[in-house]
Amino acid sequence: MSIWEKLTSIPREVIMGLVVIAILIPALNPLGLPLMVGSMSENWYDTVDSLPAGSIVLFDIGYGSGGYPSLGPGNIAAFHQMFAKNLRIVMMATALEGSMMYPLIMAGVKPESNYGAVYGEDYIFLGYIAGGQTAMAGVLGDLKSLVSSDYNGNPISGYSIMDNVGGADDIDLVAYMTTSGDTAEGWVYQAYSQYNRALLGGCLSMMTTSIKPYYDSGQLLGIMDGIKGAADLEFLTGHPGDAIVSSDILSFTQTLVLIFILVGNVAFWMQKGGGK
Amino acid sequence: MVSLDPQVWIAAFLTIAATSYAFRDNRVFKLAENTFIGVAAGHQIVMGVKNIRDYGWSHLAQGEMIYIVVFLLGVLLYARYSKEYYWLYRYPIAFLVGNGVGISIRAGIHSDFIVQIAQTATPLVASDAMGTINNIITFVGVITALSHFIFTYESVHQGTLGWGPKIGRWMILLALGASFGNTVMTRFGMYQGRVVFLLREWLQII
Repeated sequence: MSIWEKLTSIPREVIMGLVVIAILIPALNPLGLPLMVGSMSENWYDTVDSLPAGSIVLFDIGYGSGGYPSLGPGNIAAFHQMFAKNLRIVMMATALEGSMMYPLIMAGVKPESNYGAVYGEDYIFLGYIAGGQTAMAGVLGDLKSLVSSDYNGNPISGYSIMDNVGGADDIDLVAYMTTSGDTAEGWVYQAYSQYNRALLGGCLSMMTTSIKPYYDSGQLLGIMDGIKGAADLEFLTGHPGDAIVSSDILSFTQTLVLIFILVGNVAFWMQKGGGK
Repeated sequence: MVSLDPQVWIAAFLTIAATSYAFRDNRVFKLAENTFIGVAAGHQIVMGVKNIRDYGWSHLAQGEMIYIVVFLLGVLLYARYSKEYYWLYRYPIAFLVGNGVGISIRAGIHSDFIVQIAQTATPLVASDAMGTINNIITFVGVITALSHFIFTYESVHQGTLGWGPKIGRWMILLALGASFGNTVMTRFGMYQGRVVFLLREWLQII
């Protein structure tokens, strides 16, 4: 077996082993590789920054445990900025597991101790609302006829944050983070096209190529592009967390993938050139 | 100092078990897989019941009788399990489909067609050089990619005209390449997130 044949048939255990090593090296010894903040993240930050204190933000936690490593850090950074700006956040979940992510995110933000925020006055969590785009239309159309209690089962009429929030007209910004393409599109359809609300979208990097046309056409004002976008937001908000730690690892592992692709292609063409 | 929190140990074990599949299928992976399915199914049932209570029953209990129709439609969904009454299942499905299409079609046409076409039809020359280059790439990409899917006229794919669909094919491949690159980044992002959890929360060495 020639060297080229060996290179095109490396066992996957070896490749995974190299990937694990490539993750461990920068994790244990941070390299401090430079972070270039993308324009999509910058526009997300600037959009939130431009809102006056007291503005209402409708935020959809549209992901579960699978999406948490990519979106959770960005979600935490986004909430840091919103609470620091004294924005009032009405949270909901269009993903079934979204309600399980809520306590994890709040444990990272600590709005009470860090910002003096009060549940029910400065933020509220409505829990999972089934129905996908129908739920979005319902929340933006007539929130109080759809939702009568928060995630804990307490009537929303008892919380001051909900006093003046009845639908889209009372919401200054809609933002979402999701692992679902339907949810990402659904919010554009309902929040932007139907109700003309300012809209920010966070998604997995693999979805960015699908939703970027909405950003290019001005329907989304900013995108948080997976773990890269999360690192950008952590940097911009001054709250370094898991994503900044991950950016070093990501640069290192992506370089390894590039090497794999190069080696694989060179080996393939060399084999072909050798008539094998 | 390794974590003493049993929840962290369970999470660490399941993380290692789930990712062990990358090396080879094994019993520990199966255990993690089945545990996840069981927990997810249980959570789904609880959330389903909670939804019925919060968004259906609570309204009915407050005297909103229209919700009787909602519950009736919900019950009819189960008619699909009966050979005799299967046809009743079509009513709630018709309602769901009609409702879904009605809600999304107008906004969908606006977002996906009107706004996108308007954005593509902007002047090629922008205020800066990069903007102009982007506009030209977008314009050429849209026209050539669309021409790639014209199958009615064979002449579109032949001779000089044939360059349009060829360039369109390359544009599509470039987009797929970008999408693949992003997919790799997403998967690594997920995996390394769990590795960071193991090192930080479980082993507490970073």
